[in-house]
Amino acid sequence: MSGDPDPKRLDALEARLDKVKERKAPKDKSQSAENQAQAGWRMVTELVVGICLGFGIGYGLDQLLGTTPWLMIVFLCFGFAAGIRTMMRTAKEIQDQTAKPGTGAAGKDDMYDDD
Amino acid sequence: MAGEATGGGLNIDPMSQFVVKVPSWLGGGNVEWYSITNVTLWMGLTVLAIAGLLIFGTRRRAIVPNRSQSIAEVIYGFIHSMVEDIAGKEGLKFFPYIFTIFMFILVANVLGLLPMSFTTTSHIAVTALMAVAIFIAVTILGFVKNGTKFLSLFWISSAPLPLRPILAIIELISYFVRPISHSIRLAGNMMAGHALVKVFAGFAGALGIFGVFPVLAVAILYPLETLVAVIQAYVFTILTCVYLNDALHPHH
Repeated sequence: MSGDPDPKRLDALEARLDKVKERKAPKDKSQSAENQAQAGWRMVTELVVGICLGFGIGYGLDQLLGTTPWLMIVFLCFGFAAGIRTMMRTAKEIQDQTAKPGTGAAGKDDMYDDD
Repeated sequence: MAGEATGGGLNIDPMSQFVVKVPSWLGGGNVEWYSITNVTLWMGLTVLAIAGLLIFGTRRRAIVPNRSQSIAEVIYGFIHSMVEDIAGKEGLKFFPYIFTIFMFILVANVLGLLPMSFTTTSHIAVTALMAVAIFIAVTILGFVKNGTKFLSLFWISSAPLPLRPILAIIELISYFVRPISHSIRLAGNMMAGHALVKVFAGFAGALGIFGVFPVLAVAILYPLETLVAVIQAYVFTILTCVYLNDALHPHH
């Protein structure tokens, strides 16, 4: 009967649908270039703000305690470390986010066990 | 924003658009604590625009929504699923606050793109207030939900004992980095974009016939600025959700 679906044609349709899906999938990924720029911008601000905050705390304590410039130097290092710490955490967060939809997330968590 | 460069020479003043003042049709004069400045005006317009979209736009409560209702519904659904994805089911309690922040920043950013308008979110004072409010709220929430266990965020038990006080200082500083970078990012993006457009517009006035090129540049920049306006609202909101999630589940 003409009403019966022809399996061959259905298979062909399936193949065509798969092709269309494949073509669409990478397109969504490439749109996230804007997101990557945002992530980079975010990490840079965090690093710079960390250093500035460390400098501010150190300089303020120096003024209070009269130990210019030693605390400033120490806290500048702390601020730098804090900035890197925040940056790494952001990187991990973004990595988790991108790994969540896909399947390749298995080995990634082990790398960060030490924090 | 209307100050075009006058014929001779370059007089580009890209930062004058950010000056807080009382509009002349509202009386002018000095800025006092009670005066209605351009900041107040455009914040008020922002709130009116949001009310127009969310209250009057959805007033008919149609099953098949009209245009304004479906815009409101799409934004609502988008933020709702974002809060749920990032902060979990518990985070949904704070959805009204997060949605309010998103709508305010989004509409303020987009209104700021209108010619002659004033961008309230280009001021650190505005964005810092929001960021600090979120920071304090999230910190209090963390202590209420987790008690002193919230402090384990700063006391890293996996590190060797002599290192822990130093790491605690680093963690404490990096905790305070968040509200600052949170507010600087939004204000910086808005201010930089608007100043850039203004600089190009200033060139257009000074170059005579070759002013076509800066105008072309502005035409290219403008869609980019629209994109930045929306993305910055999104980024601010998503980071709010991330901080909220850290307060609700501090163990990682």
